[in-house]
Amino acid sequence: MTAPAYRTAERRARGARPPLPRLRSVLAEQVRATGHALRGPALIAAALLALVTLFAASQVLSRGVDLTLNAWPTQLPGLMGALLPIAVWARDERFGPAFLWTLPVDRRRHALTKALAGWVWLMAGVALFVLWLLAVTSASGGRALPPETLHVVTSQVAAAGPLDPAALRTVRWAPGPLIWAVPFTAATATYLLGSALVLGSRHPLRWVIGTVLSYVLSSIASEAASAQLRAGWLDDAPGRLLRLLVDSRYGLDALLTARIESLSNPAALTTGESTIVWWGVPDLADWRTATLLWTGAGLLALWAAASRHRERRRA
Amino acid sequence: MTHTDPRAGDYVVATHGLSKRYGRESALEHVDLRVPDGAVYVLVGVNGAGKSTLFKVLMNLERPDAGTAEVFGLDTGRAGPEVRAQVGYVPERQDAPYRSMTCARLLRHAAAFYPEWDHAYADHLTRALGVRPQRRVGGLSKGETRRLQLVLALAYRPPLLLLDEPTDGLDPVVRRRALALLAEHLADAPTTVLISTHHIHEMESLADHVGVLREGRLVAQMPRDELQRTVRSYRLEVPDAWAAPRELQPTGLRRSSAGRDVQCTLVGEEREVARRLAATGARVRQVSTLALEDAALAFLPEDPS
Repeated sequence: MTAPAYRTAERRARGARPPLPRLRSVLAEQVRATGHALRGPALIAAALLALVTLFAASQVLSRGVDLTLNAWPTQLPGLMGALLPIAVWARDERFGPAFLWTLPVDRRRHALTKALAGWVWLMAGVALFVLWLLAVTSASGGRALPPETLHVVTSQVAAAGPLDPAALRTVRWAPGPLIWAVPFTAATATYLLGSALVLGSRHPLRWVIGTVLSYVLSSIASEAASAQLRAGWLDDAPGRLLRLLVDSRYGLDALLTARIESLSNPAALTTGESTIVWWGVPDLADWRTATLLWTGAGLLALWAAASRHRERRRA
Repeated sequence: MTHTDPRAGDYVVATHGLSKRYGRESALEHVDLRVPDGAVYVLVGVNGAGKSTLFKVLMNLERPDAGTAEVFGLDTGRAGPEVRAQVGYVPERQDAPYRSMTCARLLRHAAAFYPEWDHAYADHLTRALGVRPQRRVGGLSKGETRRLQLVLALAYRPPLLLLDEPTDGLDPVVRRRALALLAEHLADAPTTVLISTHHIHEMESLADHVGVLREGRLVAQMPRDELQRTVRSYRLEVPDAWAAPRELQPTGLRRSSAGRDVQCTLVGEEREVARRLAATGARVRQVSTLALEDAALAFLPEDPS
């Protein structure tokens, strides 16, 4: 009998049960295993960044373009966060007798631990992405987060038609270092929501397609119904709902870009020129509140999704 | 026909009225399984009899519709992690997890979840079963996957092994080696084994308890020596239009006739069987013991339809 076998026999003679793994060990291993699973997507992302870098370098060298870094316009970290759960869970048969569920860890806790492991890699990926942005900007002679001059529309102006330049006031806006937190919080919240969808539903893609289809169909239906029934409140109802979800004060855009996308858009002026106009000055307090709301919703949704896999306690 | 005392408490695995349905199909019906400590319990049944479902319930991968299951006295539905920490499980399906990992990486992954993982023993099993550590899991054949699953199940020396068709997909040479390793494993550390197999003859030297599942019902459960003592082949001389007593036939009479001679498999203590046969006018000419496989198969219908 080998020494470990002897120890096992001795332990059993004492009636002691085999120990459970420590949560820290489980998390460490899940971080390693998830990193292994994410090698493919990471390589694709690295290849894309390399292509973009080469393209940017060629632009700078051949045309002398000044690449001034704007940290805010990118919704990419949010998109990364939304898509990453697909790669994290791709190799687990979530609703079947997966290997994951045969291990001696509470199933809900294990699901959450794996999601946490994916988040660790997401934060690393976002950090690398931000560093890459800074490196490209620095290499090109640009500046990170330079103060911006915003042409802010006064509230008395109607949105439609060319704008009178007199209706615009000029505001000097410096985003401040807190804006660097936006990619991380945006990626975190979308990752939580994406993880909840992937972990909580058997067919997440069907849900996404179904939601898009429902939106398109309900838009068509509301338009038709509005005309037929002369019910003005029905006109573009799904569109208004979507705008509420995306463009409102605490909507998705507040989470993803601190409202920089939704508050600005190109507009024609009465002088015939066109410029980017702003419908307000971005306020990081809105971003903070939106982040709290969306992250809280994501955490709740993930908890509910992981609970679908909990140890099957009987009633 | 359950001869294992259901009242005694010293069972490693005990189920109480376990039932499970999939839609209209009944996978398990009021199963009272009893696996004694240290036993090698062979579970026999045709495909779809409910063996794999029973294993999944014990691993808490499936929720029973009724009844409870206990492993080492722990309710599998309430103490899933504690139960799984004590179980080495080879599932029926031969699709290995994490196909992009190498076998060595997958073994390291599994080792992180079992504080008592025996790395030296895992290496020994890997070599003995011919698992190539640097091969990617996704590229393994059915048999290679099965070998890897066996290493995963044995390497932390769990006190209970749940082996669902463990030799399925293995070639004869590896199958023999795997069974020898299992015997070595049992000799090395006290282990209880619940094994389902279609190759009952392979377990001839290891099995000491047998259970038979038929259409989700546990129709027989007893120690192996009791099975071989009570299920025997009888050669009889019978009168015209003779019919065997129904209570002696596990699944209808398996008989082969030549004139007034009848060869059949009957269940019961030999003296009692002979007495009952005499009452019907039959005369016992020869009684022979059956191999484990033949004795167990006596409880299964010859025509599964």
